[in-house]
Amino acid sequence: MIDLSIEKLLKAPSGEMNLSVQMNIPKGSFVCIYGKSGAGKTTLFKILSGIMHPDKGKIVVNDQTWLDTQNKINEPPQKRKVGFVFQDYALFPNMTVQENLNYALQKGQPADIVDELMELMELGGLAERKPETLSGGQKQRVALARALVQKPEILLLDEPLSALDHEMRTKLQQYILKVHRQYHLTTLLISHDVSEILRMADVLYHLEDGKIIRQGKPAEVFTRKEISGKLQLTGEVVSVESQDFICIVTVLVGNELVKVVTVRDEQHPLHPGDKVLIASKAFNPVVKRIG
Amino acid sequence: MNTLPGKIKDVSVSGSLSLAHIDVAGNLFSAIVIDTPATSSYLSPGKTVSVIFKETEVIIGTGKEHAVSLQNRLQGKIIEIESGDLLAKIVLDTAAGKVVSVITSQAVKKLGLKEGLEVTALIKTNEIMLTA
Amino acid sequence: MIDWNPLWLTFKLAFIVTVVLLIVSVPLAYWMNASKSRIKPIIETFVSMPLVLPPTVLGFYLLVAFSPSNFFGHWLEQWFNIRLVFSFAGLVIASVFYSLPFMVHPIQSGFAKLPSSLTDASYVLGKSKTTTLFKVLLPNIRPSLLTGIVLAFAHTVGEFGVVLMIGGNIPDKTRVASIAIFDEVEAMHYSVANAYSMVLFAITFLILLTVYLINGGYLKKLWK
Repeated sequence: MIDLSIEKLLKAPSGEMNLSVQMNIPKGSFVCIYGKSGAGKTTLFKILSGIMHPDKGKIVVNDQTWLDTQNKINEPPQKRKVGFVFQDYALFPNMTVQENLNYALQKGQPADIVDELMELMELGGLAERKPETLSGGQKQRVALARALVQKPEILLLDEPLSALDHEMRTKLQQYILKVHRQYHLTTLLISHDVSEILRMADVLYHLEDGKIIRQGKPAEVFTRKEISGKLQLTGEVVSVESQDFICIVTVLVGNELVKVVTVRDEQHPLHPGDKVLIASKAFNPVVKRIG
Repeated sequence: MNTLPGKIKDVSVSGSLSLAHIDVAGNLFSAIVIDTPATSSYLSPGKTVSVIFKETEVIIGTGKEHAVSLQNRLQGKIIEIESGDLLAKIVLDTAAGKVVSVITSQAVKKLGLKEGLEVTALIKTNEIMLTA
Repeated sequence: MIDWNPLWLTFKLAFIVTVVLLIVSVPLAYWMNASKSRIKPIIETFVSMPLVLPPTVLGFYLLVAFSPSNFFGHWLEQWFNIRLVFSFAGLVIASVFYSLPFMVHPIQSGFAKLPSSLTDASYVLGKSKTTTLFKVLLPNIRPSLLTGIVLAFAHTVGEFGVVLMIGGNIPDKTRVASIAIFDEVEAMHYSVANAYSMVLFAITFLILLTVYLINGGYLKKLWK
């Protein structure tokens, strides 16, 4: 259970912004933080992990107070049990994969967790490699494994998948879900990718200009309200072909292209790159066996 | 996409399917959905919902009485016709608001549709989506 | 035959100064990189001053400070029985001040180039500041450390003004090679001056070449 309520005045090139966030996250949930860059997502993670200090606020995790500015309580990052996967992975360049994981061991902690994680994340063959020789996906797995060595209660993932190609992403999403369940973590993931969020998250917080503007189940937040159509796909518009008043919209859903005919809406035209929800009644599609 | 405001009058449930009757500006609409009041909170009498259906699913009939199975009917006046090579877009002004229909240009000609004409828009029950 | 003592003295001085500087500069550079303190610009200015000040200015003030007729020098002599003026210890202290920027600046820029996420990651993994410094930060700025060590060493070997002011020219105590060369030239002993100069030239050339080879990764290629 994470109970968080913080405020911090941030100075950005674009001006000042007040980060003001309240969250109440049940233990074991998978939470996504969604929002434009500069909305305060990474800062929120840094405050939660103790790397940054808010102007005021309170953070209570599983009945332990990590921060309470009123009572001058502020646990340093070393004392907060947080696994943090940084956007740039932050692997130590001077250490091999094995050494990176060993470094994360706490005083007196048996080393078998390192072997367990090496196996779980399929890192065995990379043990003696230095981070600079690894691919993006491999670095990500090492960073994830390293974050889990100290058996944290909370796992913070700062957009770790954004630099990876589609196939690698899907694979790593599965790794993340696997460890989330296996180690009973409360996981917070920063993501821009709607389909990723819909696949992974129980709860979504939409952060904009330092405030939570929407929260709830991802599907509900993204569609704003429930829609009864049972065939719902989210994707990204790839192209829009106009023909008279009709538009043929090509949408990338997962790695499949879908075409949808729409009547052109002059007020709200669709553009390539738009995130869209495609909904249809369950009565319409036909199903054909292919294998 | 046509979106019209309505209010749920009654819901009959059978298994995981529900047939809802919705009052849309005095016209009784029916929609069949794979949801029940237990799974969807908006599915209960008295709730305001939006009735959603696609332009290409709107059938146009001239005259008033139609001996067809379609239950959802809205009468209105044609205020705009835009004909393309194959398809035509027809905008109706109905008691519930504007409704857009896309039918073949051939059908427009055959029925002699033109602006100002009073027609009926018909939508199949299974083409209607509901949203809270 | 040339007297080897000035050369020996020069390299002894440079070695000791480099060791002292390394111990002083790592925490100082670390603090200067991490701190947001208001006095930081003042400290940074003091560290950089030897780059622009004539060495004689620094030498002059240190001479005044260390002089037993003044408060600090008197206090040192009374309490510790140390006289820094015209002594090897005085040379070391003066050279530490004079070569400070050559050690601090490379280390500071090395720290600055490391992504802050490395420090953050180490803290989040439960590691203290000291552990982070020795296990993560320093190993990853090895080229900067090497550059600092070599520049400080070479700069101390090459100094003249400060050494002359604070150390005088006492054979076997404070008469380092650069001063010996000056003396020999004054006395018109060009061949001896040339011998000293050749040795200094060759050794500094070799030291600097080694650094560039190591930092450029050429030696690694040879080993493989």
